[in-house]
Formats: sequence, structure tokens, C-alpha cells
Amino acid sequence: MSNSARESILGSIRTHLAASPAPDVEEHQAPLKIPVSKSDPIKQFKESVESVSGHCTITTDAADVLKQILTDLKAERIAHSDNPPNAHDIFGYDVGISTAQAAIAETGTLVLDSACERHRLVSLVPPVHIAIINASSIVETLSDALTLLQKKEISPAITFITGPSRTADIELTLAIGVHGPQELYVIVDGSK
Amino acid sequence: MNHLSSETFKENARAALADVQLRGALKNATSLFGERRKEAAASLPNWEDLRTHARAIKDEVLLHLDRYLEEFVRNAESRGAAVHWARDAAEANSIVCGLATERNAHIVVKSKSMTTEETHLNDALEAAGMQVVETDLGEYIIQLANEPPSHIIAPAIHKTRQQIGELFTAELGMPPTDNVDQMTSTARAKLRDRFAAADVGISGVNFAIAETGTIVIVENEGNIRLTTSLPRTHIAVMGIEKVIPRFADLDVFLKLLPRSGTGQRLTTYQSFITGTKRASSDEGPEEMHIVLLDNGRSRMLAHPVTRQSLACIRCGACLNACPVYQQVGGHAYGSVYPGPIGAVITPQLMGIQKAAQLPYASSLCGACREVCPVKIDIPRLLLHLRGEISPRKGSWAERLAFKMWARVMTSPSLYKLSSVAGRILQRVMPISRAWTNGRDLRPIESKSFHDLWSNE
Amino acid sequence: MKVSLFVTCLVDQMWTSIGVSSVAVLRRVGCEVEFDKRQTCCAQPAFNTGYLDEARLVARRFISIFEESKADAIVSPSGSCTAMVHHYPQLFADDSKWLPRAHAIAAKTHELSSFLVRVLKKEDVGASWNGRLTWHDACHGLRDLNIKSEPRRLIRNVRGAEFVELDHADSCCGFGGTFSVKYPEISVAILDQKIDAIERADVQAVVSGDASCLMQIGGRLSRKGSKVRVMHLAELLNESSQQ
Repeated sequence: MSNSARESILGSIRTHLAASPAPDVEEHQAPLKIPVSKSDPIKQFKESVESVSGHCTITTDAADVLKQILTDLKAERIAHSDNPPNAHDIFGYDVGISTAQAAIAETGTLVLDSACERHRLVSLVPPVHIAIINASSIVETLSDALTLLQKKEISPAITFITGPSRTADIELTLAIGVHGPQELYVIVDGSK
Repeated sequence: MNHLSSETFKENARAALADVQLRGALKNATSLFGERRKEAAASLPNWEDLRTHARAIKDEVLLHLDRYLEEFVRNAESRGAAVHWARDAAEANSIVCGLATERNAHIVVKSKSMTTEETHLNDALEAAGMQVVETDLGEYIIQLANEPPSHIIAPAIHKTRQQIGELFTAELGMPPTDNVDQMTSTARAKLRDRFAAADVGISGVNFAIAETGTIVIVENEGNIRLTTSLPRTHIAVMGIEKVIPRFADLDVFLKLLPRSGTGQRLTTYQSFITGTKRASSDEGPEEMHIVLLDNGRSRMLAHPVTRQSLACIRCGACLNACPVYQQVGGHAYGSVYPGPIGAVITPQLMGIQKAAQLPYASSLCGACREVCPVKIDIPRLLLHLRGEISPRKGSWAERLAFKMWARVMTSPSLYKLSSVAGRILQRVMPISRAWTNGRDLRPIESKSFHDLWSNE
Repeated sequence: MKVSLFVTCLVDQMWTSIGVSSVAVLRRVGCEVEFDKRQTCCAQPAFNTGYLDEARLVARRFISIFEESKADAIVSPSGSCTAMVHHYPQLFADDSKWLPRAHAIAAKTHELSSFLVRVLKKEDVGASWNGRLTWHDACHGLRDLNIKSEPRRLIRNVRGAEFVELDHADSCCGFGGTFSVKYPEISVAILDQKIDAIERADVQAVVSGDASCLMQIGGRLSRKGSKVRVMHLAELLNESSQQ
């Protein structure tokens, strides 16, 4: 059944590769790493987040900043990743709050790991997502983040988030806020 | 759905050229895409090295595709994914429909997947009684319009905002507007409850990592995350060429793909999904299925020139750079894969007899090769395909003409005679209207350079 | 420096002044120019249309003729024909007898502007021409042979010429060999983008390194009643204030 399709496909691959003249695959070197800029990764992270229409605040009093954002938003129904609403109910929430396990300075990206936190719906469904991260968990590059993720067995679901959701499917005109959140707030806790 | 056929490319193109709105939309889209790509590439000083490295990784995988596929499957299965193998489109559709039917699925949400367009999965699911909802905005638009996609990454790029506004008013009851934000909000609202109600979520795959059994899917909108998180069952459909060896290889591909496709450093979301959740109280689907599709891909491994077709990471950059695509758009190609890459993989996937015109629909300018992030030599591929097609399928008049041409060009006396004949013919016969319909034709000179040199 | 001219069948039949100008310019910079009258074509039309056996017949003839030459270089006023010769190794990849000969000829064959600037190190050939002009990058010369700065350097040294960079100078003109008659409407649609750019540039002449592009562009300009003239680089470089 599925086994015969598997054998058939693998067989086809092997047969066709065997028929191929010796390939001219050159020895190659991995590309030179671009020297990392000397700028402060936390500052670079904030700039990157803002460049993709996210909001970013660096603070030593994260709780206070969070409270202020929620007040300004007049948020009523708030979902937290430590106890997320179920898939049905979450559509009625105004704000989702999560942390992030790491962040990438060069792109303004949040790294969320399902093995550490139930972030999947909280950071996706409500129209506003607020993420709180420790300044010490910001890494410089995408490559650094990928290396970090491989330090343990890969979690079932890892999500990279760079700014609020968007599309350019209509005449390549940018529209912010499609299926994912329309607003992204990142609070960088400088005390950690 | 009325698909134009690849077999009538010439007529399709003619119709496209007469469509003023289409040409305007194409001009705007392809030039914007092109500019953004160019800037994004220029922002990375090691762009050329990245391209070389990415191509080397792809070459490595393709040369050992069986081994890497087996490694991927082993790792995905050990993490809880069920893997299915599909030799062709019909088998893939049968597998997916079977899975959905067995689970009494009524509503299926889909995120954009060219592979499922290739197999016409939606038609099969609908025939099996399911409601299929495309959730990517561009795909949603063309689903409402009952049209095929016209671009690999921006399926509705052939439509103006006015046309989309009118479509939404007609089909969704949206108050008339051509404001993009309002149209987007309308789509968002309409699709919200579909996600919650869906039994099955179907996605494509951008990269499948052999080392870890992970599938990686990139997007801007969030519909892929919803499609792959909410429904109970997630089915990911992928061509067998999507495998890459190591998790760390993602660095180079995630640098190249978004920049080449849309000019972004990174798209908004990347989902890295490895098998199923660990605890039943965790978020996410209860089960995950991966369908591996061949459908002619393994055949392409047989020759180095054709093997590179499988390196494609579906960024769409070649479409935007192609002077032919810029003029006629994607529908004219009659294939899910239009533009330069489409012109080379459509005949190979669908069979040369179904798409024999496509390899000739190119001026061989090479702009595609310049922008391809994995350095596919598309002009070389086009010539290879022409070399397969012409001697067998060229018209008898053309084959004869080239036989005569070779005779003339290998005989100085015949060559000299031919220029005399040419001069006479040009005077008495109506010169190929194909040229003269749009352009004046230079007359053959009364004295050739050979003649002039003799007189020196 | 002794040079063997590969004039190309297109120039030979339809634009002899390109050949005449090329010889004049090469002589002016001190080359001795020979012309082997047995030459015909580089085989590009057959190669590009997929008739590889016929292409090989003609390519073998080209190789046989030119390998007899004692010249230091084979020079051609065509980027596409030169690129074709550089593709000979691909054409004979499976032929152990012809492959080394193909490599040898390819290594010796140069496009005119590339020969002047890269080999002879000459950027000023003493030309003069009054007026505004622009340059169209022919695709094969640009992408197969990396010819981009060389023609521009040569043009900037033409006394009296005001050089204007064309919008999308590196976009295809739509010729593409048999493409121009297999898909004429698409060919002309692509061409019209080039024509629009030329009109916006407000020049008196468009210069390029390939007769095929010049035929395509010139044919449309004249059909539209334009006063803009098309010129091959060799013709421009052969212009002097005496004329």
C-alpha cells in the first residue's frame, strides 16, 4: 500500500540518479560570516522591531510597562500563555500575552518554543500580542538562534515572529493585520 | 475552474497582451517586486556566496535524495508524524481525501501550497463532499474569482484593487471600496470562523529538515499558523525535493528566500513543526500527516542539467525578472508554475507533449539566472528542452529548413549563392509577416562583406 | 597584434558597415586584420532552436577554419556570436576529439569592445561624434561575457558625444533569435518597453554591440517614424570629425 509507493519512489530516485553522468559538484566553502556590527544588540533589536511596525520598550520595570500598555489599549479580555483559553474561546480575547525564549537582534524576531510555553494561540489569535523578553536572551543573528534551538531536542512547535501580521497580496500594497495580530508590543526586561 | 492550457500558450499570450488592465497590474507588480529584491540582495555583502552555498547544499541533497528522504521520514515518524508516499497527483489526492473522509471532515482550511495546486487537490476534496477554504488572502481572492494562481508567491497579482473590491462586494457583500485595508479586514472577518470550525488543516512545506524531521513553513499573514494549530488534523503536502540536510542549513535558505521573494529580511512568521505534541494537554493538532509527492520529480534526477530544476525554492524572483512574464503574466502559461521556472518544470512534470511551446517562449536573455537564489541555469535548461523537442516535434518545414541551413553554412559556394537568392527573395516574396507586422526589415545588402573584402 | 575577423553571417549579409567599421577601428589601434573567406556562421540559430546535430556540423566547420589561423585572436563585433563560440565546449561535451579543439577556439575568441579594452587596453580609439546617445546592453554580451563597463568606457572617450544612461539598459530588447518570429507579439511588447525608455532618454542615437538587437530596435523605431538612429559600437568608434 503505502510501502509500495515508498519503494517505487525511492527506486525511481535511485534508478535516475544512477543513470546520471558523474556530476560536476565543486568543493565549496561555507560563506564567510559577516562580521557582526559592534552596536548594542538590545538597541539593534529595538530598531529592528520598530522597522517592521512593532512597538518595543526597553525597561527595568516590565510589569509597569505592561500595565500601561493594557490600560492604553483599554483591554478587557486578556489571555496569558501560562493558562491559555481553549481554541474556541480564544477568538473572543482582545490581547494575548506571552514571553519569548530568545530574540534575534538583526531582524527583530521573537523565538517562541512550545516546549517552554503555550504560545501558539495566545500569540496568534487575539488582535494584540504582547511579548515580554529578558534582555539577556537577545542573540545577534539568525544563525545564533538556530544554534540555540539545537542545544536540545527540537520542540514540536517553534515559532519565529517578526512584527505584526501583514500581506501585500493586493497590488503589493502593504496591509498590516491579516490573520495574525494587528499589533505587536515587545517589552524588553533590562533587569534580566 | 477554467484553466488555460499550456498547449495554447501562444493564443493565451495574445489574449493577455490585449488586456490593458492585466498589463498595468503586471508592470506595477513585477517592477516593485524586482526593486525590493534588488535592494534586499544588495543589503547583504555576501549575497553571491550565499547563492553558491545554497546551490551546493541543494546539489548535495539531490545527489543523495533517497538517503535524505529516508532520514527525514525516520526522524519525522519517530516524533509522531505519519508519512505517506504519493507517486503521482492522483495518489496524493486520494491519500488526502482518504484521511479527511475517514475523519468525517466537513470543512478543510488550506494555506497556500503550489504543490496542492499542482495536484488539483481542491477539486478532489470538493468532489469528496468537503468544503475547502483557502485562507491565504491571494488564494482566497482567486478562489472567489474561480481562477488559478498567476504567480508563485502572489497568486492574485494579476488583479487590480478595483477588481478585487468589486469581487468582494459581489461575493461577500462588502460595501463598495477600493481601500486595501478594508478589503483585508473583510477577508479576515470572513475567514476567522472557518479556522475555528475546520476539522482538517492542509499546508504546504517550504523546507523539510532531514536531520530533525522538521517541516518549516514561512508566511506573513498568520493563516498558516492558524491552519496548522487549530484543526485536529494537520496534513502537510510536499514535493520530495523540499528536503534539506541539516537544521543549520536553514540559515542560508531563510536569508535567501524572503529577500528573493518579497524583499523582506524575514517574513512575519516561520513555523518549525516537528511531529506531534508531546502531551495531550499541549496546544496543537492531535495528529500530523506528511504527504511526499513525486509526480515526475524523480525523473529529473537523471541528468545534471535537469536535476537543477529541483533546486528551486519557489521564491518567484525569476517571474518578476522575466521580460516575457512581465508582458503576459502567469495564466498564459497554463500551469501552476509559470514564468521561467514554470517553462522548464511544467514540460518535465506534465510531459513534453502537454507543454511543448513553453521552452520556446523565451528570448534567452538570462535575467532569470541572474536573480535565482540557487543559481539555476534556466536558459541552459530551456536549450536542453528545446534540444529534446525540436528534432522530434518541430514542424517538418522547420526541420527541413535547418537541415538546409546546415548545408548552406558548411559550403562556401552554397553560402554565396544563398545570399544572392536571399536578395531576390526578399524583393519578390512577402517577408515573414511575423517580423514585419510590427517592425521594418532591413534589406539584404547588395554586396556582402565577403564581396567587399574581395574588392580590397 | 594579428587579428582574425569573425564578421558573423548577419553582419555579412545585412549590415556590412559594421564589418567595415570593425576592421577600420582594429587597424587604427594597430592590429593587422585578416579575413578568412571560408567563414559563414557560428551556429547560434540552430543551437538556440534545439537542432544540435545541425549546430555541431556548422560549429565543426567554424573550429576547423579558425584553428588554422596564425592570428593572436579571433575578434567578432557580436556578443551573442562570441558567446556562442564560448558555448562550443558544451556542444562537444561528449566528444573527446572535438572538445579540446572547442576549448582552444573559445579561449581565442573575443567580442570587439572586450578585445579593445581588456586585451589591447585601449579605451580611446580617437573617435568623435556630436550628439546625445545611449547604450543598450545586449543580453549575451552582458550576461554570458560580462561586458558592461567596456563599451561605456569606449563611448565616454568619443569626443563630442554626450552619453546618457538608458533606463533599464540591461533589459532584453525582445529579439531572442527565432523567438522574434515565433512569438512576434510578445517580442514587440518587450521591445516597446525598450522603445519607451529610448524616447524618454531623448537621444539622437542608440548604440549597441549586437546587430540583432539593432535590427530589432531599429526596425521598431523606423516603423514608429522615430528620428532616433541605431548604431553599432564599431560604427560609432569609426566616426571622426572629418566625416
